[in-house]
Amino acid sequence: MKLFSLIENEVIKMISKKRLMFVLAILIVLISVFAYGQNQSQARTKAQLSQRMGISATDDWRKLADQQLIDMKNRLDSPYSDETHKASTRVRMEQLQYNLDQNINPLEQSAAKFTTTFMEQAIFLFLPLLIIMLSADMVSGEYSSGTIKLLVVRNVPRWKILLSKYLTLVVLEVVVVFSAFVLAAVISGFFFGFGGWLAPVATGFKVVAGKLDTTGVLNVPQWQYSLMVYSLGFFVAFVVGSISFMISVLVKSTAASIGIIMSTLVAGNFISFFLTDWKITRYMFMVNLRLTDYLSGSFQPIEGMNMLFSVTVLLGWAIASVIISFVYFTKQDIMV
Amino acid sequence: MPQPAVLELTNLKKTIKGKEIVKGVNLTLYPSQIFGFLGPNGAGKTTTIRMIVGLIKPTEGSVTICGYSIAHDFVKALSNIGCIIESPDMYKYLTGMGNLLQFAAMDKTISQQRIKDVVEMVGLQHRVNDKVSTFSLGMRQRLGIAQAILSKPKLLILDEPTNGLDPAGITEFRNLIRKLAYEEGMAVFVSSHLLLEIQQMCDSVSIIKQGSVIKTANVQDILHDDRIEWQLDNPEKAIALLREHWAIEAVQLKKNTISSDIGQHPLDKINECFIKEGLALTYCSTKQNTLEDLFLDLTEGDEIV
Amino acid sequence: MLNKSMWYTILTIACVGFIVLSIGFYQAIVVTTAVNPQPAAKTEVLQVTPALTKLPSKNANSFKVLILGDSVAKGTGDEKNKGFSGYLQENLKNSTPKDIVVDNAGVDGLESIGLLEQLQSRKLDRTISDSDFILVSIGGNDIRSILTMNDLAKEDQFKVRMDSYLANLKLTMKTIRTTNPKSIVIFLGLYNPYETASSVEDTRLLNTWNYNTQLLVEQDGKAIFIPTHDLLKFNLARYISKDGLHPNSAGYQAISNRISQSVEAIITGS
Repeated sequence: MKLFSLIENEVIKMISKKRLMFVLAILIVLISVFAYGQNQSQARTKAQLSQRMGISATDDWRKLADQQLIDMKNRLDSPYSDETHKASTRVRMEQLQYNLDQNINPLEQSAAKFTTTFMEQAIFLFLPLLIIMLSADMVSGEYSSGTIKLLVVRNVPRWKILLSKYLTLVVLEVVVVFSAFVLAAVISGFFFGFGGWLAPVATGFKVVAGKLDTTGVLNVPQWQYSLMVYSLGFFVAFVVGSISFMISVLVKSTAASIGIIMSTLVAGNFISFFLTDWKITRYMFMVNLRLTDYLSGSFQPIEGMNMLFSVTVLLGWAIASVIISFVYFTKQDIMV
Repeated sequence: MPQPAVLELTNLKKTIKGKEIVKGVNLTLYPSQIFGFLGPNGAGKTTTIRMIVGLIKPTEGSVTICGYSIAHDFVKALSNIGCIIESPDMYKYLTGMGNLLQFAAMDKTISQQRIKDVVEMVGLQHRVNDKVSTFSLGMRQRLGIAQAILSKPKLLILDEPTNGLDPAGITEFRNLIRKLAYEEGMAVFVSSHLLLEIQQMCDSVSIIKQGSVIKTANVQDILHDDRIEWQLDNPEKAIALLREHWAIEAVQLKKNTISSDIGQHPLDKINECFIKEGLALTYCSTKQNTLEDLFLDLTEGDEIV
Repeated sequence: MLNKSMWYTILTIACVGFIVLSIGFYQAIVVTTAVNPQPAAKTEVLQVTPALTKLPSKNANSFKVLILGDSVAKGTGDEKNKGFSGYLQENLKNSTPKDIVVDNAGVDGLESIGLLEQLQSRKLDRTISDSDFILVSIGGNDIRSILTMNDLAKEDQFKVRMDSYLANLKLTMKTIRTTNPKSIVIFLGLYNPYETASSVEDTRLLNTWNYNTQLLVEQDGKAIFIPTHDLLKFNLARYISKDGLHPNSAGYQAISNRISQSVEAIITGS
């Protein structure tokens, strides 16, 4: 149907602007730099560790792992150990056992680990930046170049035109996240070997009554964990894309719209300090972007802030942005 | 005319930021009509045109195209329009053909053959596959026209369409418009500052000033108003003589110049009379009325409000 | 045309990717959302314990020692498997006609917060109120991870960690005292198993830790701080076990001797 051709139009425009290529190029460069850097620092850490411990820690990891397994087993059996810690202990034991069975040194980096960590690190700033590069001038660009006149004076209702742009953005978001995954896995594979996808990773952390609850902790294979991480990445991309899209519609200058959304993202870093004291900051979208932290349990537990909360807040922002964009675009007089 | 109106503006009004820019415009356009829309800067021309194509929503009044109201039947109404608003802004990073394909994709009635035909019609067949960023102004204008007529619209709206074209191009354009209007039955609505162009191209014109249409007339009628201009030493006496002997009303233009429409009266007899009465006649000539005269007349002393 | 094939590629990736990512997203939410609060498994407060410990009852004929804390408290690393439980009993038995009964509640890897939670769970209340001596070894696991950091992070992290540890310690002492106002609390200082590879800075941090611990612990008149750092400093080869971290048999013996030397007068007096 016509919407399909409209989306095709928009994708062709984006490709011709070379914008997508540019984003992918940035991804490639950054991932390569990260992988190379990690490789270097890993070599350095190994050297440091063996110097400090007086033993070549890398080779003796098996002994250490065995010892840890025994200790943990004792801990589980002991009548005095806390029930709440048993689950996380078991999980840790599974991981150690896997490493021993597969003969994988836990200090070693793998393509799978790198791929996952890359998205965990990128999700709150770098990924939004890439998305903004695509979305910021989707609408404002048409105003500044004047092409909006020819776009809108067609026998197509305005909302359909805007919808085609929005759906194009969603399509590109999937492509970017997918590409990040593939590029990270492939490039880091050259440095660290292409394995590690079956290693167990701990997840299942929950926030109960403002504290970290580890009773439901379990292991999932790395590929599944990675999939979850990248899915959260896509969700964040979707939300940030929607908000940036709305700003592009409201503010008809590309430069201004980029400036606005970038500064709110950066401000998020500072505002996160006030999360416990100033309740209203929790409802801002930029402090809820670190969804992958909920998966890995590496976050400061704050009363009321858990995965479901953050996802709901973000979804609310996305929906509001979409509504505002459409209402504004269809109603406004185009004076360009 | 027996055919239904292609464009109907009914009491069209627009207020922007408290100021009433368009104060109630009424207009009707029929097929095969080439219509000129004139006015000084700030008169509300562009605003009116934008309301016709749906870029701006009227504060009051309605725009109907081929019977379809823009407010209620946007898609059907717009299916009958092709337009160029000020400069035709194309996607610079696409080729000429790429741009046309974009517009064709939005309208299923446009076939590949039609695109080819249109490209030939505007004379771009050799350059259409180059990026628009390499086009000259004239080429962009042609591409703009191409995009406007792609869907064989019943109403063609052109805002400053000959901007950037060289004289040959302007003539070509005029012929193309005539062809579209008379052979394909398109109604054409042209707004331009080039009064001579309008005069040569259009059948009828409207002049808008400060948001209201102050005159609508057929171009032929305007041009037939021939006037005579005399330069003499005593204009008042000449005016009195004309009134007395031939009941002709003359107006004094500049210091020693008078002008009047003498209709069927013989010019030689009038001149003879002037000289017999002792007037020193230094200059006498026929002045063909132009649109410019009419325009300046009507919009004289106008400030941009 | 090149653009057309690119468009189809993009479209395919988008459709497939969207489905896959939606599934992943759903999974991620499920995994992190508490569906039903798990019913806390009820474990018996005091179950049958390994042979070394006995269920004490208030008995005028026995002298009870409770050992709390981490793997050092537990006796890990002793190739003879005795640890403090064994050596203290041997040492103290000469000072009193009563039976020496030792309870060991040490947990490998325990940190100060873990010890506090252990006490707050109230499972040990009975044992604590029955004890005459309470030996505590804790903090090693709190501090260990800091020492491997690079220097820039170390100082800041140390302060944060130590403050947190001291807060826990304070509450721990309070809890013990509330449950048993009369027992003697013996607190073991930390030693440095990485002495040879440590910098001057590391030693300073360790001493600061021990010093602050001592200040806190001895605010309680019935508590005593027993250092171990000086004892092991030049004796790592002699007193540290093969795992490079815990004391070995000789080490445990040496520390136990120091403890008994400090407190045997109290026992003979009782």
